[in-house]
Amino acid sequence: MPRAILDVEHVKKSFGHPGRWWVPKGGFRQTIPAVDDVSFFIRPNETLGLVGETGCGKTTIGRAILKLTPLDQGRIVFDNVDITAMPPKQFRPLRRRMQMIFQDLDAALNPKMRIRSILKEAICVHHRLTDSEIEQRTRELLEQVNLKKSKLSNYPGELSGGEKRRVGIARSLAVGAEFLVADEPTSALDVSIQAQVVNLMRTLQSELGLSYLFISHDLRIVELISHKVAVMYLGKIVEMGMAGSIADAPRHPYSHILWSSLVDKRSREGMSEFTCEREQNRGNFRDRETRSLGCRFAPRCPVFLDKGCPRECTSPETAPELRDIGGGHKVACHFPL
Amino acid sequence: MDNQRILTIENLHAYFYARSKQAFIRSVDNVSFEIHQGQTLGMVGESGSGKSVTALSVMGLVQGSPGVISGAIRFHTPDGPLNLLHGIDRHVQLKRHNGRIMTVIKAARPWEKRLQRRMKGIRGSQLAMIFQDPRSAMNPFSTIGRQITETILRNTAISSRKEARDKTLAWLEQVRIDAPKIRYHNNPHGLSGGMCQRAMIAMALAAEPTLLIADEPTTGLDATIQSRIVALMGQIKSRLGLTTLLISHDIDVIRQLSDRVAVMYGGTVLENGPVDAVLDPAAAPKHPYTAALLASVPDRRLIKKKGVLKAIKGDVLDTINTPKGCRFYPRCRQYHGKIVAACVNQEPPLSPVAQGHAVRCWLFEPINSG
Repeated sequence: MPRAILDVEHVKKSFGHPGRWWVPKGGFRQTIPAVDDVSFFIRPNETLGLVGETGCGKTTIGRAILKLTPLDQGRIVFDNVDITAMPPKQFRPLRRRMQMIFQDLDAALNPKMRIRSILKEAICVHHRLTDSEIEQRTRELLEQVNLKKSKLSNYPGELSGGEKRRVGIARSLAVGAEFLVADEPTSALDVSIQAQVVNLMRTLQSELGLSYLFISHDLRIVELISHKVAVMYLGKIVEMGMAGSIADAPRHPYSHILWSSLVDKRSREGMSEFTCEREQNRGNFRDRETRSLGCRFAPRCPVFLDKGCPRECTSPETAPELRDIGGGHKVACHFPL
Repeated sequence: MDNQRILTIENLHAYFYARSKQAFIRSVDNVSFEIHQGQTLGMVGESGSGKSVTALSVMGLVQGSPGVISGAIRFHTPDGPLNLLHGIDRHVQLKRHNGRIMTVIKAARPWEKRLQRRMKGIRGSQLAMIFQDPRSAMNPFSTIGRQITETILRNTAISSRKEARDKTLAWLEQVRIDAPKIRYHNNPHGLSGGMCQRAMIAMALAAEPTLLIADEPTTGLDATIQSRIVALMGQIKSRLGLTTLLISHDIDVIRQLSDRVAVMYGGTVLENGPVDAVLDPAAAPKHPYTAALLASVPDRRLIKKKGVLKAIKGDVLDTINTPKGCRFYPRCRQYHGKIVAACVNQEPPLSPVAQGHAVRCWLFEPINSG
């Protein structure tokens, strides 16, 4: 089995409370743990899909891996090198090999630069090349992402969503990336264009041997593109395993609700009032400050209620850990389904 | 038809002038459809296909003049049909060529005031709208309770503030906001996205409208919250029997909530029919675009096989230089195999292929609807 290209070990990151800049004397600053003790690894030529609701810390993990957000605790190992505390100068050659496809297309591409200059900048930043070599490389990149040559002299504002996404991918490839963090690459796109981008990413993976961390909340796309899937809830990974086995039989109650919401949507009759009602009456998703100790999903969990609110779910000492339940499938739950 | 018609749209055009390009963006280009009492019409299409502009035209909220609106939007009130665009032709002079607007000689500026006056009695009370982004649609300085109360006082027979307040709480409960008494005093930004969307739905319904227009009510919400909003809208639909124009680019949402579907592309309706016939991948008479759209959504079998998604080649239509023939033909898959000369030269009409099912494509034999 090949070595992992990326190893994320016990990563923690919390942010200060946005509403409170003044801390009373003797008080404490309230913090929100965006990512809390997350570990996973990605092998070369493999895709890990990261799913979860808004605000569960998906993007923070992606940014932390690329050192765009400093970590509080934990270690990130890229190709057997610990990059957590690496000084920027040393990190530079590694940065070339790990890149990000940003979520917001309009913010990621400079609106005042033509596509030609955007790509040229990416090509030149790590290599010293002659003009003809740059021209050659640009042409290669365009071919790789199926972009017309005529688009080179356009500004990002003149391109459609799918084309902008292609430019973003081309720019990441320009520096010779092997590992890409794709943060919601399909969220702003129409279904037809989304299919084009997904196909492109998969072709590039098989051609160039790329590895992806694919962050998305679209469960079907994640299942299609990923080899492994990790489900996050409020900063913790609650379930991880092969894409097919999670989608077919999710074991954590939260993953079950996620995937069944997909089924509900697809069939007209199968609208399950059960999950809707249950979740309604239990706490709200955003109540981070008042969330339970122990298992974080407990306040919304139907199983927790059915079992008569057992103590091990709510007590902080016995919070469920991610444990293997066979076949590389890991679940953080005392009562997996 | 046994049912009563609520809204009829005939040959609606809405163009915007792009000064930088010195040309018209044909956002809505010859759209016609009708909605009957108690029916939900789903409108599906890619971004830029003119779904929202159609909805905004009905509401009289199209902005960005100098533009053009022409056609007829007939809203059927108990007193008889009311053309919301009545009298517009006197203010807009268009040069037509083969039925298509080529140049605009006089734009609709002075007419706009008249429209606003006419809309005053209808908008909000009889026509209500759920906007895509509830946070920007609601007043951030006012609490959601006050905003809904205001809607009730203005648009219904209730005139006492106390009564309106109770009614508001009842509506908040109806859309399943928990602890409505507390949420009444929340500002829109104090609610989560899903809850804000619910409050928006409550506000639209509080006026007891004849027609509800829901513009992408579930876009931008998480999967679990999305399914809850869809379930809520399904319940409201069956409980109140509301007539709805539902706009979404999510085929699953449309499939679940609508009775009829209009597939939009490049500003016009390419297919219009009952939901089971149009959005069932196996059903036979179908526009190539609808088929391609359905194929680009991954289904179970494809995911299991890890197969390649069938993407539609090319990009969303450039609505400035629409092709002379069929709008979809540059991207049409059948372009490579089966194609007739008319695809390139002439725009196909929306012709019936089955009972209550019409397709805008040259490759279909129309049935004799006699």
